[in-house]
Amino acid sequence: MKLLLSLFLTLAASAQVRHEDVAKGPGTDWLTYAGSYNGWRYSPLSQINAATAKNIVPKWVYHVPGARGLRSSPLVYQGVLYITSGNSIHAVDARSGRLVWQYADPRAKEAGPNRGAAIWADKVYFTTSDNYLTALNRHTGAVIFSKKFADVEKGTTSTSAPVIAKGKVIGGSAGGDGGMRGFVMALSADTGAELWKAYTVPAKGEKGAETWGNLLEWGGGAAWLSGTYDPELNTLFWTTGNPWPDYNGSVRMGDNLYTCSLLALDLDTGKMKWYFQFTPHDTHDWDAQSWPILVDTEINGRPRKAVLHANRNGFFYALDRVTGEFLRATQLIDKITWAKGIDDKGRPLMLPNSEPTPQGNWVCPSVKGATNWMGQSYNPGTGLLYVLTLEQCGMYYRSSQEPQPMKNFSGGGATEEGGQVILRALDPKTGKRVWEYPMTGLGRMWTGTVSTAGNVLFSGDDDGHFVALDAKTGKNLWHFNIGETLGASPITYSVDGKQYVAIASASAVYSFGLFEPAVGVEAPVIQIK
Amino acid sequence: MRALALLALLTLPLLAQHGRYLSDSNNPAIGDPVAIAAGTKLFMGSCAGCHGPDGGGGARGPNLVRRSLWHPLSDDAIFQVVRKGVPGTDMPPTKLADDQTWNLVAFIHSLTGPASSNPVPGDPAAGKAVFWGAKAGCGNCHAIRGQGGSMGPDLSNVGGSRPLAVIREGIVEPAKDLYYLGNEAATVVLKNGQTLRGVAKNRSNYSIQLVDTTGILHLLQMNDVKSLTLSASTPMPTDFATRLSKVELRDLLAYLAAQDTRAAESKGSPQ
Ligand code: HEC
Ligand code: HEC
Repeated sequence: MKLLLSLFLTLAASAQVRHEDVAKGPGTDWLTYAGSYNGWRYSPLSQINAATAKNIVPKWVYHVPGARGLRSSPLVYQGVLYITSGNSIHAVDARSGRLVWQYADPRAKEAGPNRGAAIWADKVYFTTSDNYLTALNRHTGAVIFSKKFADVEKGTTSTSAPVIAKGKVIGGSAGGDGGMRGFVMALSADTGAELWKAYTVPAKGEKGAETWGNLLEWGGGAAWLSGTYDPELNTLFWTTGNPWPDYNGSVRMGDNLYTCSLLALDLDTGKMKWYFQFTPHDTHDWDAQSWPILVDTEINGRPRKAVLHANRNGFFYALDRVTGEFLRATQLIDKITWAKGIDDKGRPLMLPNSEPTPQGNWVCPSVKGATNWMGQSYNPGTGLLYVLTLEQCGMYYRSSQEPQPMKNFSGGGATEEGGQVILRALDPKTGKRVWEYPMTGLGRMWTGTVSTAGNVLFSGDDDGHFVALDAKTGKNLWHFNIGETLGASPITYSVDGKQYVAIASASAVYSFGLFEPAVGVEAPVIQIK
Repeated sequence: MRALALLALLTLPLLAQHGRYLSDSNNPAIGDPVAIAAGTKLFMGSCAGCHGPDGGGGARGPNLVRRSLWHPLSDDAIFQVVRKGVPGTDMPPTKLADDQTWNLVAFIHSLTGPASSNPVPGDPAAGKAVFWGAKAGCGNCHAIRGQGGSMGPDLSNVGGSRPLAVIREGIVEPAKDLYYLGNEAATVVLKNGQTLRGVAKNRSNYSIQLVDTTGILHLLQMNDVKSLTLSASTPMPTDFATRLSKVELRDLLAYLAAQDTRAAESKGSPQ
């Protein structure tokens, strides 16, 4: 026992990820899903810059066993890269791409995708599709705890990367298209024990319940994407998904609070400070899952602590993040047919013939949305926000079937037809476009961006390429054909003073860096005893 | 040892639950003791000649128990293999009725299912004392839920991921067919004079990923390594079959069988 005790002390004495480390944002490491609590996906690294980008070459590839549609954005800490796949996590040497350890939970009762890990103290965390929070020793992959936080039997699954702030692991709930009751919850990073749970749909009799019919219990409002956090306000900003059944609004008359909304929650208690609903009574599956990006900037001539939000419904919003006050909305995409605009309270000005019907109605944007959960980035150097947008329309149908929860029933259906992905640089001050980068492809990607102080914007495209653009002008600097659909967002990190940019494709993680002449490797003396 | 493991498995009622996991079928035969018993008979008659009486492998058929656990063979896949055979190999198709085939699948499932889903003899509390005690010293090398050493694989989920026969074999015949890449004991002398001792989680001609004896990970490039000494055999001691009494071993197995990350917290806690 004495021997064991001394082992623990050494382990405890090694470097630990602290709140300050995550709060200061990326540098050599990338410690949280969006890089920093404010959701910027921005790195101060600048070795790869607009001048050197032409020398980018692949450094290594790690093929994730069995992966076919990775959605995960990696984390990096002290030279180790952590990538998740459905019900598994893999630790890879970030210089060589060699596997260090992997952990899989093949007994999970669901097999959904996973968007990434979290790291805190000496543990890495990920969630299984059936709602276990698993914490592992970051060096060895040994399990510290694995704790169930929600019942998959109630229609809830887990896909998002947890966000850890002040020792609280914040996670959410997926599954809103089949009927469930959405929530955001906080778990202890030390034990996995529940600290609080904030439902996104009120219970019977609670405030907001009057905005629903009888389907309250199954109302949806999933919280399937990580949110952002303002340490100064101690506030979490979390988005919520569609009301259920998705396409049949006639069975849930009213605004359906708090679906398709942005919630401001107190980190310590989960108490709602304010909410803002982008799409009241949504019938187009326009989840609000897109990044709430925290930027202090001038809006309408006044300095504001703003939260910027490019929504699936086609509009780009700016709110005051202290009060939730609506400040402005501009058009994110060119073709919007369901609303004429947004009024000065922030409510959409509806246009006729936009509801799903048995015969179908043609509406823009499509069900995939004008944008979605693709990683956006904000670059304080250029002052621009980069958003992958989709110009696409589709048919929306309503079924008159009686809603049945947890039977994959969504009250209708929708099509996506044609369309084009366009990467757009927006000015947060005005909401206007500064430049755009149209892409080829079929509108099937979910990839995102990362931008740097080197004035480079990295993005996947809709045609299987990884590209580097000049962050000021949108001019293409470099591209690489990965040759698979891209469904995840890139990150950047550095080891031994060398900058890398990594992205997961459908089946593998690629890491890129600047060209260097190869150095032959001398074999050491190897003895086998 | 084989015979003993087989006996233990066959004489116990097997209580695997239905459809608990993705790879599980909802067919009522799965986990049903009557179906398993019927399947055992069929297996002994038609399959054991090639696959061995305990499914552990024979002259003409592979080990059915120790498969890659990364991709467990689903019940439905076993059904198809038994029905259609594997064309181009010795594995023949069968003409059994559906329910007979399911009885066989139920038997194979009970052999290959995680130890934690089957009843196991022995006293887990006594086994815990063996595991963490000085005589066996398992905890010096293996961790369970964050406690213990890092020279051997983490055992927090060993009952949830391994059939009992495989756990037993890992303890009493460790060098038999464990593929110990990822668990090589290694001593690295760096060109800067530093010496690191531990276990190589991975290694190539170009880099080595080493967890040292204190549990700290070192990512090394071969160009920085002067010499590397590797152990010729598995670091797992090979004398537990004689060092531990039958009762100690039985209790130890009961304790390990209960290590399941999906079991209730109380069951899994090491102390
Ligand atoms: C003549 C020898 C022979 C007999 C008899 C036989 N098998 Fe096989 N079996 C094999 C061989 C060889 C393979 C491996 C085929 C391959 O290479 O994929 C195999 C494969 C299998 C597999 C797939 C294993 C895996 O890991 O993918 C299962 C399950 C299986 N056998 C079950 C049975 C059952 C049940 C019976 C009795 C009805 C049976 N076998 C009878 C030779 C045999
Ligand atoms: C000196 C260190 C050491 C000690 C002491 C030790 N082990 Fe091991 N054990 C290992 C290593 C290393 C491996 C991996 C072996 C391989 O891959 O060949 C291993 C493998 C195992 C496995 C197989 C794991 C798997 O994933 O299938 C089991 C089970 C196991 N040990 C149990 C025990 C038990 C029980 C004890 C005490 C009775 C014990 N070990 C004592 C080092 C140790």
